[in-house]
Formats: sequence, C-alpha cells, structure tokens
Amino acid sequence: MSTAGEQASSAGCGAPAGGVKVKDGPGDQAVVAGRVTKDGVPVAPGYARLLNSDGEFVAEVPLGEDGGFTFYAAPGAWTLRVLAPGDVRADQVVSAEIGKITEVELAV
Amino acid sequence: MSRSDVLVDAGWVAEHLGDPGIVLVEVDEDTSAYDKGHIKGAVKVDWKKDLQDPVRRDFVDRAGFGKLLSERGISNDDTVILYGGNNNWFAAYAYWYFKLYGHHNVKLLDGGRKKWELDSREMVTEVPHREVTHYHAQEQDKSLRAFRDDVVAAIGVLNLVDVRSPDEFAGRLLAPAHLPQEAAQRGGHVPTAKNVPWSKAAQEDGTFKTDDDLRTLYGDEAGLDFGKDTIAYCRIGERSAHTWFVLHELLGQPNVKNYDGSWTEYGSLVGVPIELGDGK
Repeated sequence: MSTAGEQASSAGCGAPAGGVKVKDGPGDQAVVAGRVTKDGVPVAPGYARLLNSDGEFVAEVPLGEDGGFTFYAAPGAWTLRVLAPGDVRADQVVSAEIGKITEVELAV
Repeated sequence: MSRSDVLVDAGWVAEHLGDPGIVLVEVDEDTSAYDKGHIKGAVKVDWKKDLQDPVRRDFVDRAGFGKLLSERGISNDDTVILYGGNNNWFAAYAYWYFKLYGHHNVKLLDGGRKKWELDSREMVTEVPHREVTHYHAQEQDKSLRAFRDDVVAAIGVLNLVDVRSPDEFAGRLLAPAHLPQEAAQRGGHVPTAKNVPWSKAAQEDGTFKTDDDLRTLYGDEAGLDFGKDTIAYCRIGERSAHTWFVLHELLGQPNVKNYDGSWTEYGSLVGVPIELGDGK
C-alpha cells in the first residue's frame, strides 16, 4: 500500500497531535480528516475517537492545535466521537472511501 | 499484587508532585506532546530514541538503560510514575520495559495524559533539572518477554491474545486506523489467537476497567484459560504491553509474556502459519 502520511507507520502505533497529516493526496487510503471547533475556536486539548458500526473503539488521536485530526480508516461508515475538557462529548457519523479524503467540520 | 501497588490516580499525583523519591516520567511517541506541556516535574522518555537500539531491531542493552535512567536523574530506589498519551500505550510499554530491567518500584498514572487533560489539570512547559544518578539496571527478565519461536510453539497450546483492532486481526488493515496502512508483509493473525482489542480494557477517559469487568472480558467473553500461560501481541508490542499490564499486574496472572516483535515481525516471517478472518 502507498504511504499517504509524512510519518511512516513503522515508527510506531502512537499518533502525533492531530494525527499523521495527509501529504500528496489520499493515495489508496480511506482518509477521514477534519477539525473540531467551539464557537468558531479550535478545540485543544481534546481527543477524536473513531468507533466502528458496532460502536466499538477503533482509534484515537489528540486534536492538533488547530483542532484537527486525521484517520486512515477502512471504507465504510464510522462514528467520530470528540472528547474535550468540561465533559464535552459529541458524535458524528462519517463515511470513508478508498482514494478519498472525507472532510469533517465538527462544532461542539 | 493489588491495583494500588501498580496504579495511582490523578488526585494522588497532584498531591505528591515534588515529593522526594517520586519521579514522574512521560512516555510518548509524539515527543512534541511533552514539549507543549506536561505534568509539573515530569521528565521525558522517548520510547523509540531512548528505548530502542538505533541499529538492530532490539531494545537498548542493560548498560544503555542504566545510562538513560542515570541521565534522567532516576535512582534505583525511586518510585517511578509513568504516564503518557494514547491511553497509556507507551507508558504501559515503558512500565513493562522498566520491569524487564528490574525496576520494580514503578506505577502507572491511571488514565494517563488524556485523563489529566480532560480533568483540566495543570500542565507546564518547564523542564525539571534532576541531578545525574548512578543507576544500575538488572539483567533482562526474560520471563516477561516472548520471542517469535515462543509464539509459534504457543499455537494451540497457550493463550495467545491479539490485542489489535478487529480489522487488523482479520487482515483487512495492517495498522491502526489513525496511521497510514503499511507494515508487515502479510495481514491476519497467529492461528488460535483470541482477539481482545486492548481498548476493551480501558474506559473512554483512558482509565482501566474494574478487575471484575476485566476478568469477565478476558475469561468469560474471550475464553482465555486463566490456568494457562499467555502471550500477548499487537503490531509492535506497545498496545500488548497495555494488555500485559492488565493480565499480569491487575489480574495477577502469573505467566504472561509480551511479544514485542508482534505482527510487524510475525507477519513478515517466511513459512509460519497465518489465519485470516474474524475471530472464531
């Protein structure tokens, strides 16, 4: 498979804040990327979690300073869950496709 | 061993910041996380740069680990409190690693960096100064570490726990969904392994579930035989360190090994059996 991110995954399983950014397009990855804001201001610190269609946890990244996140998913429907200080918790259903960056703007 | 011997909560840490003999250590893959803010007084360990041999695929040796801890100002009799991002993945990995080299007085901050941040607790950017020590690491305790031949020999004999996500277990993904997909040559899992994603052991805020819930999860639900020895693996051995912590340290299972070669090694070996598809 091609490498869409700037950091090879062999470096580890952990994600930098905001996730591994997409460089040079999605390639053959199914990318879900976006930004979380509150009253127009980026949410940070905070966490974006990806849950599968059974509601099971699949992945999590800390939000970047711009409230951004990036996931490399399998194609299909996912639930994006945001956690932030102050008991903030918000869900949004997203759909991932191979070769596409699905962009999500989430206001909490 | 009980939960209080191996875990501390955020309130305890807040009360003991700066106590002599207690050293907070943040372990992240994303070292910029520490640089942007960390718990006051915490020192940083980079799981890759500091804990991996720069040439061979292996850990730094005994002398190297002693040098690292000496430079960080950690003494043999200090209580080390580890915490980190990703629900303590790398902190759990470091915990296992500290045990491997014989540092017994080590605990995890339950919930790690996430819980601390979600609770809006204080983070600072000031890097503490600690005097250099003369740390003496022990020989590696190989009873905690599995190698590839141990894994092949365990097929159908011991408990094998694959703690990756169901899609990685089935062979549909080669890496977690927040990373570009590249890794081992082949996808799938070690035959007879049970798939219990590490995340099932953690609550949403990153803290561990109760012992009763954990026993139900691994025993009744996943079908692990608690009377048998266990090998846990994931992709590179850090998520499985989280599960090793649960089985060995929280549930007190006597013989649990972490296979740090994990899927990036096993999935690239020539001639070993691989199973595809969802768990049975």
